[in-house]
Amino acid sequence: MSAAATLAPISVATTTPAIEVRNLRRTFHVGGGLLGQDREVVAVDDVSFALPTGGVLGVVGESGCGKSTLARVILGLLPPTAGEVLVEGQRLSALDRRARARLIQPVFQDPFSSLNPRRRIRDIVAMPLVAQGDVPARQVRDRVQEMLARVGLSAEQGERFPAQLSGGQRQRVAIARALVLRPRIVICDEPTSALDVSVQAQILNLLAELRRELDLTLLFISHNLAVVEHVASEVAVMYLGRVVERREAEALFREPRHPYTKALLASVLTPEPGLGVPDVGLGDTLPDPANIPPGCRFHPRCPVAEPRCATETPKSVDGAECLLLEGSGRP
Amino acid sequence: MSDTLLEVRNLHVEFGDTVAVRDVSFSVARGETHCLVGESGCGKSVSSLAVMNLLARGGRRSAERLAFDGQDLPALPERRMAQLRGDRMAMIFQEPMTSLNPAYTIGSQMAEVYTRHRGGSRRAALDRAAGLLAKVGITAPGMRLGQFPHQLSGGLRQRVMIAMALMCDPELLIADEPTTALDVTVQAQILRLLAELQRDLGLAILLITHDLGVVARIAHRVSVMYAGQVVESGPTAALFADPSHPYTRGLLDCVPVPGKVRRDEPLGSIPGMVPRIRPGFQGCGFRDRCAHAAPVCAGEVPRQHGAGAHEFLCRLPPGWTAREQAA
Repeated sequence: MSAAATLAPISVATTTPAIEVRNLRRTFHVGGGLLGQDREVVAVDDVSFALPTGGVLGVVGESGCGKSTLARVILGLLPPTAGEVLVEGQRLSALDRRARARLIQPVFQDPFSSLNPRRRIRDIVAMPLVAQGDVPARQVRDRVQEMLARVGLSAEQGERFPAQLSGGQRQRVAIARALVLRPRIVICDEPTSALDVSVQAQILNLLAELRRELDLTLLFISHNLAVVEHVASEVAVMYLGRVVERREAEALFREPRHPYTKALLASVLTPEPGLGVPDVGLGDTLPDPANIPPGCRFHPRCPVAEPRCATETPKSVDGAECLLLEGSGRP
Repeated sequence: MSDTLLEVRNLHVEFGDTVAVRDVSFSVARGETHCLVGESGCGKSVSSLAVMNLLARGGRRSAERLAFDGQDLPALPERRMAQLRGDRMAMIFQEPMTSLNPAYTIGSQMAEVYTRHRGGSRRAALDRAAGLLAKVGITAPGMRLGQFPHQLSGGLRQRVMIAMALMCDPELLIADEPTTALDVTVQAQILRLLAELQRDLGLAILLITHDLGVVARIAHRVSVMYAGQVVESGPTAALFADPSHPYTRGLLDCVPVPGKVRRDEPLGSIPGMVPRIRPGFQGCGFRDRCAHAAPVCAGEVPRQHGAGAHEFLCRLPPGWTAREQAA
């Protein structure tokens, strides 16, 4: 069975999805050192999904699960090894850079390294407009002013350099830059991970407001499940390059199906004293994307794995890829 | 728990014309985990570095009392202080990649700690290192001793750091954001390990973190820091049962809690930014961001005593939160 069929859109979309990803695969070749063998690392392995306009897909998983690679392929920063990305029904590969920039924009994790330190804030925010080549200078100025005000920065702050702003203010600049072209889709890769919690809350609230006002579609990548639960309408859980569970956010957090999703949720430490630190039961084996286990790729760490999990490849059942969900019911 | 191992009273640290820590007092008892929690720049790391006398150049510390196991630390010559560090008091930091030397094997780095403080043969030190690697849950410890830091994952490196800190049987472990760079799954494993080691070895742990979830789950006592001060402190259960400083309350409102968040409802947030504290600064450092601020907040702020040893620094009386909720 193809993954496109198993991971069909969750909501019945009557219109073209904002983002559609079909059988996406991306591999990297990694040199094995002096005498080592050249190895193939599968970062994204046969991922398919469709996200309706206005939806927020939260992508979660541990480091190395391929979530950032997925973001880069969807942004067009990395070509896929196989499969394709459609943005508002158009093939990403058929669009030139300018057209792509008008549709889809990124916000990255680190507001310290993603802003040019030698440019003024207003010039950083203006860059996507200037790069379009056909926007009159006055319009650029007006749009930048408007956008800075919208993200809560003053005109005076627009004259400053990134080093003169705090982390939260810099992330506001990154958001203003991403939205100045009025894109339809924004890809946020760990947008609040480098920020303090009080600042994180400000940025999350700002993103939520802007999403509603501008009817944006968001792909929201984060290792912080609580943040994803707060912002996402649906959630994709990635493990070693595959989406092992993808469901409507509220249902996934209420009743996770895949054992990996359960373990991830159990690992979240809520500020509730007396509960102690949970034993997640994942053991000490760590996932290695250059050496993906046969059968279910999660089986070496899975607390409920059975012998067949080492040989049989699971299919998706109700949004989760687990052999124990096939047939009998729950893992 | 009254067996105080580390006692800090009215610690003050300045860098140039900036006050990083002011009037900070806390203590850590044997077998106890005390968390210093706060956001960047609140002085939590500087406080711990001041205890170890490892402040960056230009940092000046003063304290009414700074004592480890009854010994007055500022009175010790640096040579004696260096003997204590890594031996009876050990540290682990946030990023194990930067605190491990990339050019030496795990084994030689771990053995050096031991032979330097305790002497003895390298062979004996390596045996001890292998034993500790096994204790912190690392499989095939013998093989790991011969590996270099870059050959290990982040979680394994942090375990190595913990094992290395345990080489000389420390009585106090200072851990500065030990799990912040790790995945949540690995974070849970490392924190369980720390709690287990504490039970087995009777360690006193001073844990520095920004994560209220970590604090709630492993701390016995908490000190919440803001703008260089401890604004609220107490036993973990008491403090979380009735967080009373407006900053602590604001911070808790900012944290999205799984199962309790509402989509499309804004999170609580604290407006404004942390002020820079200069010498001579008077009053509450939070007053410019506080919804409850009053003119008196610019003067001497009283220390309020709640139930148990729960204290907070505010003009508002104990129990104000309950009264506000009732109103």
